[in-house]
Amino acid sequence: MSQLQVKVAAIDDVSAGVRHFTLVDAHGGELPAFSGGSHIVVTMPAPGRTYRNAYSLLSSPENRAHYEIAVHRQPQSRGGSIYMHEQVKVGSVLDISYPVNLFALSRVAKHHLLIAGGIGITPFMAQIHDLERLGGDYSLHYGFRSREHAAFADALKARVSQRAVCYDESLGQRMDFDALLRAQPLGTHVYACGPQGMVEALVSTARALGWPEHHIHSEQFLAPPVGEPFTLKLSKSELEITVQGDMSMLEAMEAAGVDAPSLCRGGACGRCELEVLGTDGELQHHDHYLSDADKASGRKIMPCVSRAKCGYLELNL
Amino acid sequence: MERGYWIRSKPVYTALLWNTKATAHAVLAAGEGGLAVVKLFQQALPEQGITVFYSPAGASKDYLPALQAAAGADLQVFETTAALLEAWTRYLASARMGLRIYSAGTEKFMWEVTDAAEAFGILNNDVMKELTGSLARSVYCVHCKSLTHEVTSNIATCSGCGRHLFVRDHFSRRMGAYMGLMVDAENPGEVPEIEEIYP
Repeated sequence: MSQLQVKVAAIDDVSAGVRHFTLVDAHGGELPAFSGGSHIVVTMPAPGRTYRNAYSLLSSPENRAHYEIAVHRQPQSRGGSIYMHEQVKVGSVLDISYPVNLFALSRVAKHHLLIAGGIGITPFMAQIHDLERLGGDYSLHYGFRSREHAAFADALKARVSQRAVCYDESLGQRMDFDALLRAQPLGTHVYACGPQGMVEALVSTARALGWPEHHIHSEQFLAPPVGEPFTLKLSKSELEITVQGDMSMLEAMEAAGVDAPSLCRGGACGRCELEVLGTDGELQHHDHYLSDADKASGRKIMPCVSRAKCGYLELNL
Repeated sequence: MERGYWIRSKPVYTALLWNTKATAHAVLAAGEGGLAVVKLFQQALPEQGITVFYSPAGASKDYLPALQAAAGADLQVFETTAALLEAWTRYLASARMGLRIYSAGTEKFMWEVTDAAEAFGILNNDVMKELTGSLARSVYCVHCKSLTHEVTSNIATCSGCGRHLFVRDHFSRRMGAYMGLMVDAENPGEVPEIEEIYP
């Protein structure tokens, strides 16, 4: 995967546990163009192991002088968000991937309904730039735990107050998905980003109300869940690798020098799919990519977030 | 076309079935499509509201009594398909997401219904379609860009330029028409036998 080198130009704390990073090209040039909804994968070379996490770009896609990302310090972090909060300083140089968009705005939508929960506001920050520039019709509904967790709420109020509705859960304000979805004009596309429970509730409500699948967009980057260690056998490479409990299969393969494909590293894009040749245990699928039928077949796995409860798992790589 | 010949662009039409996950239902039919709507109402009905738009134009039988018995107050009848499509466009302007759309009739009618819905951000796959009455095709002339309607033969005379057009299975969803190519371009006047294959 080709990489960009960026330098941290500024760090700000924007709300409780959320740190905002401004990144410029390490060699002083322009950064590659992107569209709203894109993310980058940041490589974090921690001692002993390398973390790679996906973060949505929240700056204006028109501005190629810098990128902005926001990192929520995860209470159950495996190390990535803690690394960003504790190790990365102004002037640090980071390797990042080129921007990739798995959460693009529909070009045929008549209205865009943007649903954000907590740190899930970040891709919408960039999409709003695109919508304002293109004159797209949209409304943003943003829920957060309390005022102190409301990252960018003031900036949104200042920029697009008539388009944005905020919900402060500490004041008992909650989005009513059913009423909201029923009220949308024909040709609306809905986009959800935020905690898993919120995204799943939104998607299942939209489906139950008869929204066609391609009018429903969601993005969640999952952290690889922790499990038990097992042995990974790679048939073509003739390698046996131990996958530690707090490591994903993808990370274990990369640490062993295997050139395994990957893109989003969060179970969303499907790039890292591998064929399962055998196991003495059971697969634990955690991705949003494979269909239920694929998961049940036991023949495919996404090594970025999924693992197995087994002694060994053999993959065709 | 040849028996069993199929290319990706050629639409596959099925029988109408209620989509039970919905907020409302709109059923649009013309001519023989009336029978498809009567059949649809013989299925277990969905809980949400239904509106039926029907124009008898082109029907071989009077389906109105059966439709009135089935749909009752939910039925709106129009003398022409043009009047039906006007009412449909007005309906779409105030419709909400969750509307399920069903159409039955000739291919030309179903794609006119779809075209109106697409202007409101509905993708053509989300309009369920049941072809009734005739396999007659609309044909788009790749030479003069005219449309010739109600073509029932393998070779059509273009309504715009008069060329003899070979009617292909290559279908344009945007125009609701099949591609027509000059059949005697190589040897002018050598037109193969004309057969009625889209009765």
